[in-house]
Amino acid sequence: MIESYLIHLLIMIGIYLILAVALQLAIGYTGLMNLGHIAFFAIGAYVSTIFTLSGIPFLLAFIFAGIIAMIFGYALAYPVNRLKGDYLALATMAFTFVIWSLLINLKGITKGPLGIANIPSPSIFGFQLISPFHFLILVIIIAVLTYYILHKIVRSPFGKVLEAVRDQELTTKILGKNTLKMKSYAFAISAFFAGLSGSLYAHYITYISPSAFTILELLPILAIVIIGGLGSLRGTALATVILILLPESLRFIGVSASFIGPARQFVFALLLILILIYRPKGLMGRVDID
Amino acid sequence: MALSQLIINGIVAGAIYALVASGFSLIYSTNKFIHIAHGATIAFSGYFLYFLFSMLGINFGFSVIVSIIFATVIGYLMNILVYKQLRRRKTSSLILLIASFALLVLLESLIILLFGANLKTIKVMGSITSYELFGGFITPIQIAILITSIVLLIGLYYFMNKTKIGKALRAVSNNKNVAEVLGISSERMFNLSFIIGSGLAAVAGVLIALEQSIEPMMGTHLIIKGFTASVIGGIGNVPGAILGAFLLGGAETMSIWFLPSGYKDAITFIILFLFLVFRPKGILGKRWSE
Repeated sequence: MIESYLIHLLIMIGIYLILAVALQLAIGYTGLMNLGHIAFFAIGAYVSTIFTLSGIPFLLAFIFAGIIAMIFGYALAYPVNRLKGDYLALATMAFTFVIWSLLINLKGITKGPLGIANIPSPSIFGFQLISPFHFLILVIIIAVLTYYILHKIVRSPFGKVLEAVRDQELTTKILGKNTLKMKSYAFAISAFFAGLSGSLYAHYITYISPSAFTILELLPILAIVIIGGLGSLRGTALATVILILLPESLRFIGVSASFIGPARQFVFALLLILILIYRPKGLMGRVDID
Repeated sequence: MALSQLIINGIVAGAIYALVASGFSLIYSTNKFIHIAHGATIAFSGYFLYFLFSMLGINFGFSVIVSIIFATVIGYLMNILVYKQLRRRKTSSLILLIASFALLVLLESLIILLFGANLKTIKVMGSITSYELFGGFITPIQIAILITSIVLLIGLYYFMNKTKIGKALRAVSNNKNVAEVLGISSERMFNLSFIIGSGLAAVAGVLIALEQSIEPMMGTHLIIKGFTASVIGGIGNVPGAILGAFLLGGAETMSIWFLPSGYKDAITFIILFLFLVFRPKGILGKRWSE
């Protein structure tokens, strides 16, 4: 009992870690306030679900979840290229709404508001990951790989160019860098990992519906990124663990199960507001939001 | 559905959106940030009415007035407790937007914790008789919506253009520093804009609660409409927001001619995205920071 509860928490930490470090690349390292992240997560979840249900092996569906989300991310970078700050935030938020309403309305593909149930557990080379423990191992491998790859990216010359785009876009342009291309790569990479995370989420929960991908679901991820601190992957990892575990204490002070969801959102929102007022750099942040 | 019915529905929807959008736009033009938690003011107004009238059984007229006052106070408190603290540190408009998003989630989850997640209706009259108008039907509450909206919007116009304090408000929105030199306290004008803007939102909340029903996410839905209307008209431009509101109401209901009704919201999101990307100044707007 306690063991399966711990496994569940660890799986959720893994899924959110992938989402949060991916968003950190866009917001913290490239300065793109992307509020469309949840849409990439949704695309990954739906692609993976629809592919596996039509008989495509899990691993292939998993990779396609990332790739199709990546294509959307890459494409989104072009129309929003000239927008900055609030307006970029709003246009990407509008992108979330557009994807969400497509999930509701394209009933032939997504089954609309009812969602898709009985998503099969992943099967890798004939090995069925039925038990949560096996699933946890898969999540840990993907989360560690994601963290490692993003760590390599932000340390690479490419990562430095992204930071230059964040700090001095015009100067970077004058120095001969194609900043639009850099931003579209950042969007694409960020969306790719969000898509992978969406696939893991769908096959773990085994049920998806549009209500799991509203703009409100962005709040925990955004809170993790900002509380962890912009431009810090370690801070993001730390904040993921804290923010997933902290609301669990609500269970032990007797908050009833049906209230856990909204109570958790309440705690995240409150923490985010307090951090913005009292410690805008977050736990380990290196840069300010602007 | 008859064309005349669609036109009536479009105008009624536009009247509601105009109340939301004009308040939102007033707050934006004075404070220069996107107060997305404006949606929470609307939702609280509807829920206050439900609590006072349907749950406690207090006199209807009195409940309406108290609900509007309480919801206005919520809007005012958001400014004092959160935005003012952030402004003190000279934070960017992007941080204010994120804080506002967190406030929206905070207050919506509070509604779920207090009242539950299900949809609620407020029954005032036993049976509603509709009046026939040019071959379409209009309900008494819809007539009330039209009259209230027109009276308030004319009042707002008069206040902003003819009164000394309204002119002071516009002075702060045009140039804060010059207004301060002339002895106008910008903090007082920020407060005032929140009181007037939230008051308009509170009236909209009561009207929607009576015409349709209330549910915790209603604020998010409505602020997206109000916000889209402002973007269409030119954000921060109050007359533009009102024009945008009626255009949006019209576009939405007319879309029912061509598309399944489920796409009504999708139309809003696509219009919002297209305007932000291709015409961020809107139809009438001129102010738009890069």
